[in-house]
Amino acid sequence: MSDERFDSTVSTTCGYCGVGCRLEAHTRDGRVVSISPAHDGPANEGHTCLKGRFAHQFTRSRQRLSTPLIRDPPLRGAGGEGFRKASWEEATALIVSRLGEIKAMHGPDAIAGLASSRATNEDCYAMQRLIRAAIGTNNIDNCSRVCHSPTSFAMRRAFGLSGATGSFSDVDHTDAAILIGANPTEAHPVVGARIKQATLRGMRLVTIDPRRTELADYSVAHLAPRPGTNAAVMLGLCHVVLRDGLTDPEFIAARTEGFDALEELLGAYDPGSVEEITGIPGEQIEQAAHIYGEAENACLFWGLGVTEHRYGSEVVQLICNLAMLTGKVGRRGSALLPLRGQNNVQGSSDMGALPDTYSAYRPVDNEQVAELFEQAWGVPLSRQKGLKINEMFDAAVAGKLKAMWIFGEDVAQTDPNVAHVTHALESLEFLVCQEIFENTTTAFADVILPASAFLEKAGTFTNAERRFQLVAPAIDPPGEAKTDFEIITTLSRALGHEMGWATPAEAMDEIASLTPDYAGVSHERVGRHGLQWPVAADGTDSPILYEHEFSLPGGRGRFAALPYKPPGDAADDEFPLILITGRRLQHYNAGTMTRRTKNIELQDGDWLEINPDDAARLWIETGDQISIRSRVGRIETVARITDRIEPGHVFTAFHFPEVRTNLLVGSSVDVNTGCPEYKVVAVDVRPISEQAARTPALAAH
Amino acid sequence: MRVTVDGTELEVGAGATMLEAIRAAGTDVPTLCYDERQAPFGACRVCLVGVEGAPGPLPACTTPCRDGMAIDTQDETSRRVATAIVELVLSELPSAPAPHTELAAVAAKLNVGTPRWPGPTHPVEHDERHPYLAFQHELCISCGRCVRACDEVQGAFALSATGRGFGANIAAGLDSGFLESSCVSCGACADTCPTDAITENTLLQL
Repeated sequence: MSDERFDSTVSTTCGYCGVGCRLEAHTRDGRVVSISPAHDGPANEGHTCLKGRFAHQFTRSRQRLSTPLIRDPPLRGAGGEGFRKASWEEATALIVSRLGEIKAMHGPDAIAGLASSRATNEDCYAMQRLIRAAIGTNNIDNCSRVCHSPTSFAMRRAFGLSGATGSFSDVDHTDAAILIGANPTEAHPVVGARIKQATLRGMRLVTIDPRRTELADYSVAHLAPRPGTNAAVMLGLCHVVLRDGLTDPEFIAARTEGFDALEELLGAYDPGSVEEITGIPGEQIEQAAHIYGEAENACLFWGLGVTEHRYGSEVVQLICNLAMLTGKVGRRGSALLPLRGQNNVQGSSDMGALPDTYSAYRPVDNEQVAELFEQAWGVPLSRQKGLKINEMFDAAVAGKLKAMWIFGEDVAQTDPNVAHVTHALESLEFLVCQEIFENTTTAFADVILPASAFLEKAGTFTNAERRFQLVAPAIDPPGEAKTDFEIITTLSRALGHEMGWATPAEAMDEIASLTPDYAGVSHERVGRHGLQWPVAADGTDSPILYEHEFSLPGGRGRFAALPYKPPGDAADDEFPLILITGRRLQHYNAGTMTRRTKNIELQDGDWLEINPDDAARLWIETGDQISIRSRVGRIETVARITDRIEPGHVFTAFHFPEVRTNLLVGSSVDVNTGCPEYKVVAVDVRPISEQAARTPALAAH
Repeated sequence: MRVTVDGTELEVGAGATMLEAIRAAGTDVPTLCYDERQAPFGACRVCLVGVEGAPGPLPACTTPCRDGMAIDTQDETSRRVATAIVELVLSELPSAPAPHTELAAVAAKLNVGTPRWPGPTHPVEHDERHPYLAFQHELCISCGRCVRACDEVQGAFALSATGRGFGANIAAGLDSGFLESSCVSCGACADTCPTDAITENTLLQL
């Protein structure tokens, strides 16, 4: 349809959350003026949210980085520091010489890179190739480390592949669903709307969340566990399913292994015992287990409320147990659907931007795999696993890691234990940041490279359904800013490693040729409708995984007999409340983009949600300025009283650098993946006032 | 089952509507209140078609097919009624719909120019308080698409039909504007609106 208001309309894929809405971006005079949803988008089916549709004005913000910046004066910590504008040639020469010096003096393992889950598959693949081939180390990671790495780990353990077993459209073909630790009507609004519509049509929903989220109001049952006790909840559900004969013995016998050990473990998790651990009434555990177990088809959704825990990866394995016990996996309407946080959290890891694996999770210490890439890239490659994000910061503080290249991640705002991250960034000898805006992290950079937003670049994102989808530029990057693909390939050339691609499409051809799981992927084939991996050489894709067998040796899924263990932090006399963090509808993660749009008029700050009982005890009223103190940090914000959170728990978001919620989060991480425990932080909350009170007061309640 | 559209025979699935059969046959009838993302509503009567044996025109969007049905999209009575409806709709607007709107496209398809009927038009009433979404109440034709998008696609239940007869219109919340309603700013209403009665603020400033 032609439209007299627009110069051009470009079909692309949203760069906000992991739902992967297909969008039509309409431009006029070199700006995006409107975005509408593509009617044929498989994940969004003609719908999108206020972030995808409206939050695009940041692309032409006057604060966009439009030229390379170099620290001036060049000495770190010399005081009076600022940045001066520089040419690309000067910035490139500085990066090449400094990285060269550091590599010569300390070896390649003194350098590390972070790829970005906000960037395209081709950008991430190029970045890991630069770090591996041009630098010579496996010190490459990406921000999925801090969100869904436990999901990836656990699903590979249980089923074989790192991704959802089905598609979001399964929610239209299912009778029941359990939603665990996720608030999709705010964090993944289009999937949230799809789940809500399904409940209105009669789908029976169970929500498991310490907060009474919007979808909890649409649920048949809402289970509010104590933060950090998800494992006990899942074990309790499995116990009831087994006890009451709701399992699928044929499926268990034919397609799984490890059932006996699980059966033995489950004996201890009767509803009464689970109630003691989780605080959820035993009858609710029974009700939820029956809703799931009795449904012909049922889906399991989960978010970061499951993964960002000390035992997050184990809980995902326990979720997989429930699906296998009841045979509810591998068919339409019975899917396991992790709600991935960022637009390309799936893809950045798929592409091998990880310290231990090449594309499609093939280990770096596997001789055959390493040789394949050595042959393709024409350089020797390290067999030694690299550092994860949290280990990079530890190594920097210890003086072993000297240089980092951080691409599209504001680690100083979003990573846990901000004080430690800051110390690490200060300890580096050389830091390159590749960004679209200056942020908390770029303040520590030696060189800042101006990069491009998703509306300015070409490539593919892989959404939470394992679907490769095309990204196409609607507008040009501002000023001298370049696409990330051009920056990385050009820098790699300057560092002495020619990648040999002119376009992202050519990079995808290489990815396909070196990765059997993506063998049939090309930009042409991805087209308007996308391809869900694995994609065979003839282009056949896989909307449903594990229809006949699991992708593990023997084709059998693996039950995990993992007991409940307490979280890394617990409330005590000094820190009596448990803080949970999460997203709000109007903003997205560090807020770098959404705070620079009119979304700020809809929501201009963070606040702490607190139960009326706790508020009364602490003499706190809605609107009061409060202090939140944890074992590692202290922040201030305002309070809002709500009964949507249970007594003993408080909640806030992390979108505003003025609040810097992550100062409160300590160093506890998932035991298998190093994903931080953002969701259980013991805190002390108390009111503060601008001036010392001179008048004695009575309690407000 | 088998149906015939303008003489072409084709197979359609159980429960298919006449509109789906017409589109599957590669032909089309104009629609105003229809949006494939929503359940058929049948409010505008612009998709009327002739059906062999039926006493009068039938709305294609809400009428299910039955085996052996013969549909005539060129039926003269149906086209005459649809054209008159669109002309009446246009006669209530203070200005012609913008060229990019669905209403303008439907009017062009039915060759409806400036309406012949004088009389009152809707008073111009804009509400641009929301940062992204704007009401232009005078352009509302009461097709109900925005209300259904809000209910059936998003599930925010923020919009409702208000008034009656010539005064019929739409309102967010208790007619207090988007910001004071349960609106989640998804924009599905602006996306589906066939007249720009709800549109994007930024587009008004172009």
